[in-house]
Amino acid sequence: MSQTVAQKVIARAAGADSVAVGDYVTVTPDYTVMQEIYFHRNIKILERLGVEAIRYPDKVVAVLDHTPQAALGSEHVIRNRESREFVRRTGFQNFFDAGRAGLRHLVMVEQGFARPGLLVFSDEPNIASIGAVGALNVPISTEVLVSMVRDSNWVRVPASVRFELTGTLPPGVWVRDLVQAICHEYAGGDGLVQRCVEFGGVSRLGLDSRQGLLAGMYHAGADTAIADVDDVALAYVRERADGRPYEVFAADEGAEYDEVRTWDLGALEPFVTVPPRHDEVVPVSEVAGRRITHAMVGSCASNRIEDLRAAAEVLRDNEVAPGVVMYVTPGSPEVFAAAAREGLIELFTERGAQVLSPGCTTCWGYLGALADGDVAISTNQEHYAGRAGSRNAVINLASPYVVAASAVAGEITDPRPMLTMQGAGHAGR
Amino acid sequence: MPVASAVLRGGVWRFGDWVSGDDGIVRFSELRNFGDDHDPAELARMCFATLVPDFAAKVTPGDIVVGGRGFGIPSHPPAPRALKAAGIAAAVVESTDSAFIRRSLNAGLPVVTCPGITSRVEQGQELSVDLAAGELTIVDSGEVLTTKPFSPAMLEVLDSGGLVPYLERYLAGETRA
Repeated sequence: MSQTVAQKVIARAAGADSVAVGDYVTVTPDYTVMQEIYFHRNIKILERLGVEAIRYPDKVVAVLDHTPQAALGSEHVIRNRESREFVRRTGFQNFFDAGRAGLRHLVMVEQGFARPGLLVFSDEPNIASIGAVGALNVPISTEVLVSMVRDSNWVRVPASVRFELTGTLPPGVWVRDLVQAICHEYAGGDGLVQRCVEFGGVSRLGLDSRQGLLAGMYHAGADTAIADVDDVALAYVRERADGRPYEVFAADEGAEYDEVRTWDLGALEPFVTVPPRHDEVVPVSEVAGRRITHAMVGSCASNRIEDLRAAAEVLRDNEVAPGVVMYVTPGSPEVFAAAAREGLIELFTERGAQVLSPGCTTCWGYLGALADGDVAISTNQEHYAGRAGSRNAVINLASPYVVAASAVAGEITDPRPMLTMQGAGHAGR
Repeated sequence: MPVASAVLRGGVWRFGDWVSGDDGIVRFSELRNFGDDHDPAELARMCFATLVPDFAAKVTPGDIVVGGRGFGIPSHPPAPRALKAAGIAAAVVESTDSAFIRRSLNAGLPVVTCPGITSRVEQGQELSVDLAAGELTIVDSGEVLTTKPFSPAMLEVLDSGGLVPYLERYLAGETRA
């Protein structure tokens, strides 16, 4: 039977030669990754269940990424301590605490847990970003608890669609604009719902950008996403696998897809997603001139070094406008350190942007929360009312180029003229 | 063992496309301490309050939600718990993501997909849902629609009353799947 990449990964995890789309199968995950917010609840549940040690301590990855900064007055000051005691007591071998963490999306890839052909259970669909190195994210929500007591769980084999990338991103256009173009077409319907988006032609994008692309497919409706593994991805994996196994899968000739289409990167332009829906995507020109108070670069969509370089390109010769608060959140200590080595932390700081420590930060308003009347433009993942503070704040979503250019202008702005003046616009390539 | 997966039958609450779990089923932004199990009474009061202000007053335990495309996307755990707390017995939707289906199952709420359902049933009509057989019956007309049957593993979680009671039974060696 001809199979998609998702089918092959699931078949391998099920110990089967092949699996059929729509089937329920029992799989053994290679890893299960989870954040800390639900630990408080899960600790109590495991105590009630009499579970004193987790059964497969090397296969569970816990990352403190939502609340590493634990502010005065928040319950997380206590809960983080509770979480640390819990992981020590129950024997977690892979716990990434504040200072060693960053988003679990990045931790999985940087630490070599995500490798080609592996099946990873997680608590979030955006962790599809690990598909950039050929690992399949299967979001199981609250069921990450199961992986603390058992080494198997069920999955329903998803149908796939195949998107082939062609062309080259024009200057000032970012992979986020591709995500938004896809959301524009699919997020109002259900053409990607309960499906895996399999990408080809990804060598046209940097490895960071592929992660940002895959992380955004949930907002177009998809359950998960995965990319073909090219030499760039494989070289990265080899550096980080540390002898741990992996298997590169390619889709079979004749594999069945619900849809196959191409996306021409060269035909894209800067977009803005206005609230509250993900299909409300407009060319930046349609909303240019709208005043903003906040600009954020970060989140699992855009917090890797290529994304920071794109924002830095705009800020190279420009300052954040008075009256605008700009936050930049590197996604992990590794990204933060790389940004420091390249002088980006210095640049952001000198141009008037605040660099926050790695974590989810502004995406859910844990840091840099919005007040009544605030208008943000951000690279974050969600923009529904109250997502990052007040329900009476407005969140617009865009690329790091658009966010940085808007921060400079104090209003939503097309980044391309600013970049043309500098003769640049090619971060990440 | 309680049997939740026997045929469910209830009155329909019909909703349109892309009702968000986080800002439609509940207002996630108004819940504090979101890693906790919130007070079911608070969740029940919040359930669909933005879309149908008198929902909490009018819902009858056992009612069934019929939803459109993308129902429940995006969601966090309080969304299905709110449906459950409000007395909803099942949701039959045009489409939703697998995470919402799992999240709901873990909360003890069956969610099934049935493309075309919103144009077949009216608000207030009786619908019956047979999860094991994958059959949906519009009681007035006797029309039978199909959905993918729940797997034995899913039925076992549901019959246990959700994930946590399922795990209790699993660890006690009382489960089949």
